[in-house]
Amino acid sequence: MLNSLPMFLLMIIYVKSMYEYDTKWGMAEPAAYTVASDSETTGEEKSSSFPEIAIGVDIGTSQCSVAVWNGSQVELLKNTRNQKMMRSYVTFKDDIPSGGVSSQLSHEHELLSGATIFNMKRLIGRVDTDPVVHSSKTLPFLVQTLDIGVRPFIAALVNNMWRSTTPEEVLAIFLVELRALAEAQLKRPIRNVVLTVPVSFSRFQLTRIERACAMAGLHVLRLMPEPTAVALLYGQQQQQASHDNMGSGSEKIALIFNMGAGYCDVAVTATAGGVSQIKSLAGSTIGGEDLLQNMMSHLLPDSESLFKSHGVKEIKLMGLLRVATQDAIHRLSSQTSVQVDVDLGDGLKICKVVDRDEFEEVNKKVFKKCESLIMQCLQDAKLEVEDVNDVIIVGGCSYVPKVKNLVTNIFKGKELYKGMNPLEAAVCGAAVEGAVASGINDPFGNLDLLTIQATPLAIGIRADGNNFVPVIPRNTTMPARKDVVFTTIRDNQTEALILVYEGEGKKAEENHLLGYFKIVGIPAAPKGVPEINVCMDIDASNVLRVLVGVVMPGSRQPAIPVMEVRMPTVDDGHGWCAESLNRTYGATLDLVTLQKKA
Amino acid sequence: MPTSLTLPALPAVSGGFLRRLNSERISSRQIPINASASTAEARPAVVESRRPAASLYEVLRLEKNASPTEIKSAYRSLAKLYHPDAAVQRRPEHNGDCEDFIEIRNAYETLSDPSARAVYDLSLMAALGGRNRRFARSLSMNYSSGFNPTRRWETDQCW
Repeated sequence: MLNSLPMFLLMIIYVKSMYEYDTKWGMAEPAAYTVASDSETTGEEKSSSFPEIAIGVDIGTSQCSVAVWNGSQVELLKNTRNQKMMRSYVTFKDDIPSGGVSSQLSHEHELLSGATIFNMKRLIGRVDTDPVVHSSKTLPFLVQTLDIGVRPFIAALVNNMWRSTTPEEVLAIFLVELRALAEAQLKRPIRNVVLTVPVSFSRFQLTRIERACAMAGLHVLRLMPEPTAVALLYGQQQQQASHDNMGSGSEKIALIFNMGAGYCDVAVTATAGGVSQIKSLAGSTIGGEDLLQNMMSHLLPDSESLFKSHGVKEIKLMGLLRVATQDAIHRLSSQTSVQVDVDLGDGLKICKVVDRDEFEEVNKKVFKKCESLIMQCLQDAKLEVEDVNDVIIVGGCSYVPKVKNLVTNIFKGKELYKGMNPLEAAVCGAAVEGAVASGINDPFGNLDLLTIQATPLAIGIRADGNNFVPVIPRNTTMPARKDVVFTTIRDNQTEALILVYEGEGKKAEENHLLGYFKIVGIPAAPKGVPEINVCMDIDASNVLRVLVGVVMPGSRQPAIPVMEVRMPTVDDGHGWCAESLNRTYGATLDLVTLQKKA
Repeated sequence: MPTSLTLPALPAVSGGFLRRLNSERISSRQIPINASASTAEARPAVVESRRPAASLYEVLRLEKNASPTEIKSAYRSLAKLYHPDAAVQRRPEHNGDCEDFIEIRNAYETLSDPSARAVYDLSLMAALGGRNRRFARSLSMNYSSGFNPTRRWETDQCW
């Protein structure tokens, strides 16, 4: 059984199969090599029409689920305990990890031992200077930071030993279990998946998700931002409701608000005739986990200092507090006040009545952020509140009364869209996309769907001093290709450094460094003369390529060979990279945008 | 694949040498697709849109006086044919190329915005006024029906 194997064994199997793949194909056709390399999802592979239907997978911060198009509709797969939603955690025991999909032990009990790792979706692809990583230090296992911009150290306590792990490994263990579950039920090998991801994930985080899938032997057909998966499902429902409105007139605008345990995403989609155009996206790393952490420090104000030493006793304490707080928050969804009674040991007892107002006051900032995400999304879509036909709320936090209220308040008391299960919408959308992207045809036209995606974050380079100059702005329809012309900042500058960033910050360092390369051999000329054309290309599989060419005025030929670089190239330690590049080169190889001649 | 740049550079509708370079490179590996597409689909538009289209209206297969609703619905219908995801589904031999869709999208973005459309219409007039020979000629050659370019005797004569 795959799921009883230790991860390192899985890795060996994986590496071995990769090796065979390479040696088999590498000689005859060098081009095939890129298809085999682990985390790559190349467009080419798509074309060799898979007969199998890709499954849809939603690995949430707290729960994961898997669904598949069964030929006429989406079906959620259940585990042996008849659960459709499985807890996203992995318990390490005697070197054999077991995840929430298959394992039988209760989550709450295992939390207390330090051997259970969860919330990895919040930590994947983040460096240890990230505030999200810092706030994860209260989790009942080891999250250690050195604060220098490298990946944090994460470990589970197994037999009084810290066994190190990575978010990728933990996600891969779920994925192996989910895959085994799907294979057992569908009675066929599973290779292709459509995975939902948060809107705010950087491209580097997406590569980490792809890496986790590769470790689990899965090929990522598509990584879909969660609200766009919901948008696809909405598009399908609208299509089924009215088959005869192809194209024209009856366009429906929906706003999708998705808030889970780890992330909050908003999307605006315009749907007609089965075509959903994503008009805007907004997302942030806020979710149920923040509500929980704020509440924990409200109940036990000095919790952070108490948890510093991460001993066995403290882990148990953290676990108890977490379970009690979570339970209180859940109960506050239906009750206006609840009694919290928990004995944390060592004479530390919490005995308190918490009411809903208190909970909402403690989490004021989180709710404010939710509101601003919705407003930003509407603004980016150039729409007014009145233009929205349907408001859809999904995700675990949709059960929190305050979340529901704040959304309905923005939409002036408009009734929320019904007909979607808040917890299942994203995975169902992913399963529909899995069928569509696998080229499955439905005789009733239920798969005659298309989602036109948009880029959630701007991509650009550092220029004009230390500024971030977007080449592809956020909410640009994908596939996309855009270019901006830059020029040199000093006379006879023959080299230029291209630093590619992704994000929304005005200053370069506020954004996420995706990669860098140097242009050499620019013909000597006065400053401002050479035209350095930076072109960015995102294909339908969301692969980003950066092309840079240098042209001298009056010439049609590029002065030097064009550089084409696939991003991201930075693999780890972004903090280090950006800083040392800055230290070594400063502004000597800078560029400025060239003002367009009329 | 080595990229040759010996092509006499055409003044593209919207400039940028890398765009030219790209479309040239991609179209060179596109040839078999074009052939199969024209048999699979009624519209021979894949082949057509390889060349810089004469106008954004031509890209969306619209009359020049199309209404905003018509523009929107043309964009949707074309997206269903030319978006790489849809194209893979409809034509399994399609290799996921994005050129067509990007062109359709760019045309839609201009024409769906009333002010951008007005500016574009003006520039179209100016171009037809005779600054650009290749542009004007391809328009006059391609359009036998529908929208009648504002050609004058002088412009025809001086070129």
